[in-house]
Amino acid sequence: MSALLCVRDLSYSFPGKDSPLFSGVNLTVGAGEVVGIVGLSGSGKTTLCHCLSGIIPLIRTGDMQGVVRVMDRSTRDLTPARIATRLGIVFQNPDTQLFFPRVEDEVAFGPENLCLAPEEIDRRITAALKTVGMEGFRHRNPHRLSGGEKQMIALASVLSLDPRVLIFDEALSQLDAAGRKRILDLIGDLKRDGRAIVMVEHNPDNLVVAGQMMLLHEGTMSKFDGQWQRFAAL
Amino acid sequence: MQTHVTEVGSDFDPRAKLVAVMCLSSLAVVFQRPLPLALILILAVLSARYFRSDAVQAARRLRAFLWIFAAMAFVQSLFTAGGAPLLSVCGISLLSTLGLERAGSIVLRFLVIIVSASIMATSSPREIVQGLYQWRVPYELAFMVAVAVRFLPLLRDEAHDALTAIQLRGLKLESIPLRQRLQIYSYLLMPMIASVLGKARELAVAVEMRGFRAYDRRTSHRTLRMRARDWGVVSAAVLVSVGVLGVFMHM
Repeated sequence: MSALLCVRDLSYSFPGKDSPLFSGVNLTVGAGEVVGIVGLSGSGKTTLCHCLSGIIPLIRTGDMQGVVRVMDRSTRDLTPARIATRLGIVFQNPDTQLFFPRVEDEVAFGPENLCLAPEEIDRRITAALKTVGMEGFRHRNPHRLSGGEKQMIALASVLSLDPRVLIFDEALSQLDAAGRKRILDLIGDLKRDGRAIVMVEHNPDNLVVAGQMMLLHEGTMSKFDGQWQRFAAL
Repeated sequence: MQTHVTEVGSDFDPRAKLVAVMCLSSLAVVFQRPLPLALILILAVLSARYFRSDAVQAARRLRAFLWIFAAMAFVQSLFTAGGAPLLSVCGISLLSTLGLERAGSIVLRFLVIIVSASIMATSSPREIVQGLYQWRVPYELAFMVAVAVRFLPLLRDEAHDALTAIQLRGLKLESIPLRQRLQIYSYLLMPMIASVLGKARELAVAVEMRGFRAYDRRTSHRTLRMRARDWGVVSAAVLVSVGVLGVFMHM
């Protein structure tokens, strides 16, 4: 299995802080693999997502040590735009990922930035909306959809860039049971499609599709044996 | 390649509307007297009707700010010397015919701007961004317009949530003196701004991670095309503006 996302000895400290938020993080995610990362609030899950996706050090600052390689290229050597075609990230709050009043425009935004031809953009919109099962919402206003539907549109907006690596940063946390099930089913489909997926979650119950689970706790990451009782007692 | 999708009330190119709005707003700024401003307001209302804009709804949304207009008009009338005095206290003129005229002009000017701006609300922010981009306005600037429009409701929701949270703690805002109420609003301001800034940062990261500013240029899924009726609107707006300027400048 070829590694699409490879992390070696990663550590991160916030600007002006001496002690690292986490250190010695190692992770390998191959094609068609889902890795789940659990951790308590404040354990650094979102910051880890930012490091994995290149947001740190390219957009946000701080002291990041170690290497994150996405499809064999270090994030330090890539621009955010170059990363966008390799790796997509879906955040917790769909409201801060959507900014146009029409689903079609939202999904088109990424391919337009990459200067794709209008015909290709149209094809990608259709394909991305079909993947998330939202073809009928193409001309709807995303701000008037339910939380689960908004998150589907946010995911379609990422998928329109056709990244091979996907990161879900607590993307299920604001959804109801039906919304969670839809996203989880979709993650299963994306896994079968050969994408490398990292799911970061506060609630381990949301990681049923993950083949491998890690625990981020007190600055280190270790294999998680799936004993929820132990996690709840932390 | 797709051209813009026609919608009810927004089947004109946003650039044509933008020219009409710019003409009306510029005329409202150029003239000082109530008569030409009243005529410009009539033109603005007719334009709003033509573009099927809900100007009344727009004015209604600004109801909360009406007292600011009234206060500005009053201050203007108070500090304007000249004209026949209408109200005097101890020999000091508080209201004069000229002051009243200036106050009326201010109110008319605001109304023209509100009514003409409501025309732009009939186009989607995406169409406006696309129109500006095709006018060679840098995409970053045009996009900021759309994001600003997106953030106004967020700011309103934040304020609404903060006020509701305070009232749920048992504070009856309407029953406390104005000074204390203003103090409470000032306490809310910082967390509100911090929250909105946090959301703006999240949005900025999401935008960057979708390839924003990847290249110096970008392509567009939907391209706007000026049609004969759009050029007709532009021509009419310019000609009417020149006509109004010509007539009232010589009066």
